[in-house]
Amino acid sequence: MANTLRLYLTCIRNTLEAAMCLQNFPCQEVERHNKPEVELKTSPELLLNPVLICRNEAEKCLIETSINSLRISLKVKQADELENILTKKFLRFLSMRAEAFQVLRRKPVQGYDISFLITNYHCEEMQKHKLIDFIVQFMEDIDKEISELKMSVNTRGRLVATEFLKQFL
Amino acid sequence: MACFERASPALKDVLLKLYCAEKPMEMDHHLYEFGAVEYHIQSSASDPHHAYLSISTPLLSQDTLQSHALSHYTREMVKGVSSDAVEIVEPAKEGYQLTLRLHFDKIPSGKDSVKVITEISAVQAVILSSQLKEMLQNVNSQVTFQGMYKPIKLVYHPREPFFVVRQPQKIIAVFPMRFKENSDVIIATAFFQELMDVGSSKEWAKAPPCTWSPIPPPELRGELIEDLSTNGGFVSFDIFPRHVEGKRLDKTAWSLLNFYAYVKYHVKCTRGFIQRRMRKRLESLVEVLRRASSEEEEQQQQIKKDKGCKYMRKMVSRSKNIKRRCGNLSRKIKRIRLRIKIRGFGRFHRRWLRLPKFCSSKGYAKLD
Repeated sequence: MANTLRLYLTCIRNTLEAAMCLQNFPCQEVERHNKPEVELKTSPELLLNPVLICRNEAEKCLIETSINSLRISLKVKQADELENILTKKFLRFLSMRAEAFQVLRRKPVQGYDISFLITNYHCEEMQKHKLIDFIVQFMEDIDKEISELKMSVNTRGRLVATEFLKQFL
Repeated sequence: MACFERASPALKDVLLKLYCAEKPMEMDHHLYEFGAVEYHIQSSASDPHHAYLSISTPLLSQDTLQSHALSHYTREMVKGVSSDAVEIVEPAKEGYQLTLRLHFDKIPSGKDSVKVITEISAVQAVILSSQLKEMLQNVNSQVTFQGMYKPIKLVYHPREPFFVVRQPQKIIAVFPMRFKENSDVIIATAFFQELMDVGSSKEWAKAPPCTWSPIPPPELRGELIEDLSTNGGFVSFDIFPRHVEGKRLDKTAWSLLNFYAYVKYHVKCTRGFIQRRMRKRLESLVEVLRRASSEEEEQQQQIKKDKGCKYMRKMVSRSKNIKRRCGNLSRKIKRIRLRIKIRGFGRFHRRWLRLPKFCSSKGYAKLD
């Protein structure tokens, strides 16, 4: 792993460990309702300061915390047009299957490629450190997958081009 | 319009069915391919050894071939397709460019019959490629336009025309590339760049050099704006005389005709490949999260299990104690309830402690 990436991921891991201390908190607006405060943002006293971690202009992570929920938004690097469409395709594919992930948001926060919403119930159902591991591994995997996909598409293109030119010989 | 297989699979099926039929068949069948190619197959039960195949296909270029009929060169090429079994009928049926009489009795039996019928089914590909071949051969006679040879526009699909430009030592085939989706443009662009890289390598020096540019090449200057407006740029192949010599002419013409289909097939397959890969990746990503929740459950179950064992062990130990205590108690009770034997007490009990018998006035006598 590149050194800068390791630092970036470690920073995110540490921030998440600090931020992920969620507790059950009923909604103050609607009686007998329990809503993620980070989404509603109706009570400022229940929100913490959002943390923005940037690796560079193209890669950043926004962590917004509230008393009972945590929202993590990621922006994945897109070096060229091919990476851009591959990232879009892949993250859209994942967002459309958000129910499989439980913590994935169907629509990313504006300005980001993908968002997660973790509530206190998720923390109760799953172990906190496992959730953090998942987020960090997800970030690593996305980067790896996009670069592998790009390489595969180019390799396929090269093979197809070779086969086409063979016809002239 | 062109596809990778030269033979039309539908036409091949129909002709094979007709040829293999045990009883003579009456047939009047119309087949349509790629929206503009039409086949008409006719056969009568009275004449089982003959069938008629009529073809209507759009011509590649309306500039060079003034009439709607096929050129002499094309007819000669069609005649070359299993000349024994195929005969051109003059004039062709109304509405068709070519009518062929098929002599089934002259088709060799066994495996060769399939081969001959496949060749007959590829007649549309022969017509298409022969038109391009003719242009490549006769292009010397084209008029020059401002010091350059005028490009010939070839249309084998209304949305996919391409141009052939003759230059002093080479022929340039220019393909304006258009795609419906932006993602297709990017995948195709990556392919064109690879095509340029591969073509320029030493290993492929004999292959026609390929260039891709997002703007129209200078050879197409003066062409209609709708022909030059693309989203995928322009791919050009420089065809040198060595690429159109002898048997290579046929291969080159067919490869050029198929270039659009080839690129679109590659784009489609790549999209499928990306989708498959994403699906596979999704499973591995979900697995991480699933493992987290299952480990949590396992831990809880383990705790419950441990609790349960302790309880059982306690219960077992308790039951032992209880058993022991119960044994003691029962022995005590037995001891307490044990009759104390006092000599003469039985007689005393019978005499003084016996309950007197009362006789009811309403007593009844037992009837025998």
